[in-house]
Amino acid sequence: MFERRLFFHVDWLLLGAVLLLSGIGVAMIYSTTYVTLANGVGHPGPQVWTQLYAAALAILALIVCLVIDYRLLAEHSLMLFAALCVLLVFVLLKGSTQMGAQRWIPIGPFHLQPSEFGRLGVAMILAMYFGENRRGARNTSDLVIGGVFTVIPLLLIAKQPDLGTAVTLLPVFLGIAYLAGLRLRLLGILALCGVLVAPIAWKFGLKDYQRQRIQTFLDPQQDPRGAGYQTIQARITVGSGGLTGKGFRHGTQGQYKFLPVAHNDFIFSVLAEEQGFVGVLVVLGLYLFVILRSLEAARLAKDRIGAYLVGGIISGFAFQVIYNVTMSAGLAPVKGITLPLMSYGGSSLIAAMAGFGLILNVRMRRFTN
Amino acid sequence: MSNLMPDDRRGLGLRLSALQYIIAATFAALAVGFWVFQVAQHDKFAEMADNNHTRRLPLPAPRGVLLDRTGRVLVENRNIFNIALVREQTKNIDETLKLVAEATGADEAQLRETVERRRREPSYRPIVLIENATREQVIAVWARRWEMPGIIYQEVPSRKYPGTEAAHVFGYVGEITEAQLQRTDYEGIDSGAIVGQAGFEQQYNKLLMGTEGNKTVVVNSIGRELFELGKDEPREGTAVQLTIDGDIQKAIEDGFTASGFNGAAVVLDPNNGDVLGFTSRPAFDPNAFAGGIDKATWQELNTDDLKPLQDRALQGRYSPGSTFKMAVGLAGLEEGVITPNFTVNCAGGATFYGRRFACWKHGGHGAVNLKTAIEQSCDVYFYTVGNMLGIDRINKWATLLGLGQKSNIDLPNELVGLVPSTQWKAEHTREKKWYAGETISVAIGQGQVSVTPVSMAVYASTLANGGTRVTPHLLKAKYEGSGWQPVPPPPPQSKVDVSPEKLEAIRQGMWGVVNGGGTGGKARIDGKDVCGKTGTAQVISNAARLIAQARNRNIDYRDHGWFIFFAPRDHPTIAGVVFLEHGIHGPNAAAVAHHILATYFAKQDGKPLPPPPTHDDLHLEYKDPYARGGSPEGGGN
Repeated sequence: MFERRLFFHVDWLLLGAVLLLSGIGVAMIYSTTYVTLANGVGHPGPQVWTQLYAAALAILALIVCLVIDYRLLAEHSLMLFAALCVLLVFVLLKGSTQMGAQRWIPIGPFHLQPSEFGRLGVAMILAMYFGENRRGARNTSDLVIGGVFTVIPLLLIAKQPDLGTAVTLLPVFLGIAYLAGLRLRLLGILALCGVLVAPIAWKFGLKDYQRQRIQTFLDPQQDPRGAGYQTIQARITVGSGGLTGKGFRHGTQGQYKFLPVAHNDFIFSVLAEEQGFVGVLVVLGLYLFVILRSLEAARLAKDRIGAYLVGGIISGFAFQVIYNVTMSAGLAPVKGITLPLMSYGGSSLIAAMAGFGLILNVRMRRFTN
Repeated sequence: MSNLMPDDRRGLGLRLSALQYIIAATFAALAVGFWVFQVAQHDKFAEMADNNHTRRLPLPAPRGVLLDRTGRVLVENRNIFNIALVREQTKNIDETLKLVAEATGADEAQLRETVERRRREPSYRPIVLIENATREQVIAVWARRWEMPGIIYQEVPSRKYPGTEAAHVFGYVGEITEAQLQRTDYEGIDSGAIVGQAGFEQQYNKLLMGTEGNKTVVVNSIGRELFELGKDEPREGTAVQLTIDGDIQKAIEDGFTASGFNGAAVVLDPNNGDVLGFTSRPAFDPNAFAGGIDKATWQELNTDDLKPLQDRALQGRYSPGSTFKMAVGLAGLEEGVITPNFTVNCAGGATFYGRRFACWKHGGHGAVNLKTAIEQSCDVYFYTVGNMLGIDRINKWATLLGLGQKSNIDLPNELVGLVPSTQWKAEHTREKKWYAGETISVAIGQGQVSVTPVSMAVYASTLANGGTRVTPHLLKAKYEGSGWQPVPPPPPQSKVDVSPEKLEAIRQGMWGVVNGGGTGGKARIDGKDVCGKTGTAQVISNAARLIAQARNRNIDYRDHGWFIFFAPRDHPTIAGVVFLEHGIHGPNAAAVAHHILATYFAKQDGKPLPPPPTHDDLHLEYKDPYARGGSPEGGGN
């Protein structure tokens, strides 16, 4: 299955950038979770070890996703999708609950978060669906079917509730549909519908805490110690970093926990605080490189399935990065959207790496038949 | 199959390119956003971050120690425990206060009031809920600390006073009031600070307060202190030496305690105004204030009929009675109205302006000259001299001797007594005109004359030193880094040269009071030539008293007893006054003064100090002559 010559077609540059971002993520987690004891000595937080184990698994997942021909995977995409949905249903029924949401399946010492794999499952089945039919996504009925494939896991995830992760499925769908020839006029209409539906969704679709999050985002001073707290603290964290940052392990906002669970959703704020604007530019540059390079892989793909698969995965990825970074600076409402590759969280890291495994896979196999 | 055809590829390529541009543009926008926050607005956010994690906490400074003139410690510092609330560390203040009240037995409503009063302060600044907490309270709170985050205990310096002794000299300390915060003399002092609220503590607050220190600490988001960034040590207030002599002070307190009477005493060095001892009875315990006084004690002190918080020495105004006679006698001599040999025949009373004025001795003193008149306290003699002088000349000399004036002692809230004059009557009464008949009562220290004990001490000093109205003062020296820096005594309030012979006549009389079988015999000390004069001041006229007592038996209408003194006669080094409130007779005051003088001279001579007197040692006279015969105006002895 894995021919030796394929090895030479691996995009080492992309792989290197991905690994580098993960490494920076671990370093930032190390820095912000470092525990200093009263006597001055300290030790890194337990999260660092968890993340390192996850990184090992993630690399393994990447290799698996690289080695198996993506077309073989695509052929089984329906089964994979079904498995995903089963897992998501299982989570709703039997998952473990943390912080008011039922998102995890405990497996031994690990907690698997199936929703993080939703984007891969959806990207796979949509790439297969739109790639296999000649019409692409020009046809409305195909779009509806593709939409159904997206909405099923989306609703299951939203039900946990984890609206943030659920929403990340949309860019996957839109990305693939777009590459598959979605009429731009239709996209415009969809956008218009979105604007029209928003007030109704506001009234009926959102929970109180979600509405409050958006409200306090718009005016964080309204409730500086409550709901607006994270937004304000995120801005302070980023702004106080300055040009060159406070230095590794010298961040005050993250270290002293003014920014809650900084190692998780706000890892980019920690980076901004400790490494400053310079660090921000470097990491943003790396992410941009990864995204643009992946889109090149889509361009080079031998078939539409490959191109759409890459497009779907990277659209979800790009959305996550952009949203998370914006939120890290307190410029978007706080949502549980992780920064792929860098945020603390095994499932998130594994899913992201597996995704890049697939992207590398597509690029690597551009010459095969 | 699904392999890409060239057409497909072109369309896909275009869309991919568009996507790439859009994403690149978005990233550029993000970079600009971060630039705005991190570079353009960095200063603002850096400050906000600092405010987040650094806290400047005040470190209270110990107040200056108070020593007596011989260097013995009178008031020192000790550490007490306060239980305080740090609001930023607590989620539910009401619930926390409820728990604190439960654990410590404190009044919940009062705790809430305390927090409410200081709600405008930064939320990281501790609000003291319970000052001077007991060991049990601290332990109770500590044991339940997990239930009430934000409750801390702090060890802070506080005052330690020697009980009620000299309480009115020291005064007390307490949290700065809202009104004081507005005043310029308290500028730079933050709310919550402990300042002097009475007595010496108030008068010299600035000197004693020291400089508050502070420490800057790094805290985490729940306000837990992580480590210290910097520290400004607090500077202890200036240590000061008082003019008080601890032994004299103790003798005064012991004398009062033995007598069982309330009142006041002020003992001075007549040569410079040093206050050697000073008391007002009943007293309070300033220690009760040092750690924040509880409501019940405060209420009790304020509603007590005997008014323990009132400083009788400075604020009590009483008739001087016969002690006033020296002022009249000296006025007569100095104004040339009489000579020491001027003689009056006392027949137990005399008639002036158609009204009869009785002498306390109904049988009369016979022929008396000035010395005998003072010695025997003959009323008729001074009626006569007073009548010859007129009120304004009496006023002039009483004022020069220190009566009817503020002593300007370095203690707050001194009140002024009154020696009437025609001008005073014209300005302050509806009647306006002074009647010569009124002068007769004034001449024996009755009528409108009123004096404070401290002014009587000045009066005794002025008679002792020959006319210098010294300013009583308590501050003797300050400790300035390297050593004690004496504080020069304040200049005298006035000075008049009394001719020595004339003064001698007065002194002879006063010597006779103590040593010649007069009313002050109880103050006699062998070889020390104590001079003095007793006085008995009616609280109410005899006739009125009979009626009033029948109506309300709880009010004390017994006469006040005075004794003013100085010694030794020829070169006095001590002068003062003992005032016994409702002490019945002047001689009772002389008995208390005796212990003070005996202690003073024993100490001066290097002899062992006399032991505290027992009640019996004083041989007090309790016979209450409320039904004295004759005119209600009859003067006491």
